[in-house]
Amino acid sequence: MAVTDTRPAASSRRTAGSRPPAGGRRRFSGRTALVLLAFMLPAIVFVGLFTYYPLLNGISMAFRNYNLNDLSDTSWVGLKNFRTLVGDEMFRGTVRNSIVWVVGSLVPQFLIGFTMALWLRRKFRFRGAYQALVFFPWAVSGFLIGILFRWMFNGEFGVVNDLLMKTHLIDTPVPWLADAKYAMVAVIAANVWYGVTFFAIMILAALQSVPDELYEASAIDGAGKVRTLFSITIPSIRTTLALTVLLRVIWTFNSPELIFGMTGGGPANETHIVTSYMIQVTQEGDYGRASAMGVMVVFVLLLFAIFYLLSVRTRTPRTRRKVVAG
Amino acid sequence: MRHRQMLAPLTAALAAATLVLSACGPGPAEKAQSGGEVKLQMVESLTNPTRTALLKKLIADFEAANSGVKVQLISPPTNQADQKITQMLQSGKGVDVLEVRDTTVGPFSTNKWIYDMAPDLKDWDGLQALTPNALAVTQQGGKSYMVPYGFYGLSLFYRKDLVQQAGFAGPPKSWSEMVEQAKKINDPTKNKYGYSFRGGLGGAGNAIAVISGYVIDDINKDNAFKLTSGKTIFSSPKAVDALNLYVDLFKNASPPSSVSWGYPEMVQGFTSGTTGFLLQDPEVIATVRESKTIKEDQWGTAPLPVGPTGKAAQPLANAGWGVAQGSEHKAEAVKLVKFLTSGDPALTFSKENSLVPILKSAADDPFFKDGPWASYVAMNSSPETYVVVTQPRGVPWSTEWGNKADADVQKLITGKAQPAEILQDWDAYWTKKWAGN
Repeated sequence: MAVTDTRPAASSRRTAGSRPPAGGRRRFSGRTALVLLAFMLPAIVFVGLFTYYPLLNGISMAFRNYNLNDLSDTSWVGLKNFRTLVGDEMFRGTVRNSIVWVVGSLVPQFLIGFTMALWLRRKFRFRGAYQALVFFPWAVSGFLIGILFRWMFNGEFGVVNDLLMKTHLIDTPVPWLADAKYAMVAVIAANVWYGVTFFAIMILAALQSVPDELYEASAIDGAGKVRTLFSITIPSIRTTLALTVLLRVIWTFNSPELIFGMTGGGPANETHIVTSYMIQVTQEGDYGRASAMGVMVVFVLLLFAIFYLLSVRTRTPRTRRKVVAG
Repeated sequence: MRHRQMLAPLTAALAAATLVLSACGPGPAEKAQSGGEVKLQMVESLTNPTRTALLKKLIADFEAANSGVKVQLISPPTNQADQKITQMLQSGKGVDVLEVRDTTVGPFSTNKWIYDMAPDLKDWDGLQALTPNALAVTQQGGKSYMVPYGFYGLSLFYRKDLVQQAGFAGPPKSWSEMVEQAKKINDPTKNKYGYSFRGGLGGAGNAIAVISGYVIDDINKDNAFKLTSGKTIFSSPKAVDALNLYVDLFKNASPPSSVSWGYPEMVQGFTSGTTGFLLQDPEVIATVRESKTIKEDQWGTAPLPVGPTGKAAQPLANAGWGVAQGSEHKAEAVKLVKFLTSGDPALTFSKENSLVPILKSAADDPFFKDGPWASYVAMNSSPETYVVVTQPRGVPWSTEWGNKADADVQKLITGKAQPAEILQDWDAYWTKKWAGN
């Protein structure tokens, strides 16, 4: 197999609208640039107005005494909101809960999602129907899922206790959402059910791009299922796995709606995560403190994403574009 | 050719400017005065489909009686409504008439977002038709930021058959009788419980109802979180007795999972036949009537249980209609508020929403005199026993307090905190807030 470069030679004449030189930048005449800028202006204005203005406004609120209940003094208070948070015992608790929530949700989601993807990759009758069924939860709102699971986990008339009692796995009903140690398990269980689908979709898509020849070759070489999984399947979809995990960490960290629907952060604030607590503080009108939380969340997730991507990058071997000679 | 090229960026820039400027254009309320017609924007908060339909019907009646005025009703989902209303008021545009609640009147008036209707209501004959409670809400501190459309008052829903089977002649009259009867009914092995405990969202309200019943003789009626001495009700030793009883009621007569029960679960607990007692607003009457599990003759309502001295505090939660300070059609907006809070529209709204009515004339209406409503009427006709008090629900920190107090009640009933600790904390909280810190 030879690596060949099939790119066209660079043209020395550059005119507006012509193909750019390879590896170089497209250059425009002043007038053409003006035309393009004018056509892009609506998009720039709208993105600026509806994305960057609220973002910058939110960041500025984090450094102000911005409380909706009394807007007579919205002065600059520096780091006061951040200091208040650091000293807030409940906030520290929500940070701990967030870590439990993310790790507790992601590990089972990943393992079950991976297993489901492997299973759905095989050809069998009604595979399309099964795939549709499996992917259905992803289409439902998190808040609605929360309310559904809240009733399912109800101690007295919930289906979960009913099933466990009928199968004699428990003798007395478990107060799932009333006891702190069970409540976190319940919300994580609901989130696992809700999020497994995303992993399954992403991993299945990646699996379908792995050439069958590789599996045939490994079978000829006498590799077993486990060896094939670790030597062929996982290395082939490593990038997808890494990005899916990163996306899910960010989304799960920022997904309070299921907790809101199920427990409202209770009992006694034991299931509040940072973002659900942030919503509660917003409802109380303290936009300054809520914005400070938002800024902290963005900063922490940004750091995590950078370190995570760097660590994944160092471990991923460089891939080279290969053109199979005909 | 050249001028064509010039035309392109100009056209694009013009399009962009048009789009941006259109976003900054006049709002619907401002555009509305076409051909002499005034268009009012009205926004509700405690939205539900049935109520929205009723409001639209009443608005149509108002429009028929006031040609030249059109009302557009905005109905955001309940859980986001107050936030939406806040944003609208902040922008100063797009709202003329709005639903104001006892929990939002404080922040809205502090920020000067709502209009003081006192001068407009001064000569209004509708004031004379209001009950003393409704009038007091309308004229708080000499200002009229809202006119209430009804009250949410607690009474006791009880299972007649279960009370009888437990060997009692009638429903409990006091909190101590309530605990006694609920314990007798309680049988977890049969999934039967005495009391529909509210431990989740809004749970602090019921805990404070018990405390208020215990300190009623020393309570400041105009600020029911204060004693006549000026201290908070939470500083009273009687409050500790009240919370001890409340914890007993949870531990020995309520479902264990009711730690997390909010409004839907506690009502479901009663309507599904799981619990024997429920403390709730009259709006639940309609829900209980729809129950497939308990029949009409199996349940009834009784007045709110009283404290050790034979009295109970009746904190009438309320909501009503107000006018936005930013409205450019205040005269028409006030007219609509007056229309909705007087005569037939006011009575219809109370009946169809199961609210304690605001009009004196409702006392003679058969609808409110019979059946489940009788206990509410009985309470209102015995003001010495069921003392009407005003809780400080309109303070700017109302939501913060609600969240904090609900979580504290959960700590209390799960054994993470003792009654004295909780009360000390609440006492410190309110003392500090009132001191302006």
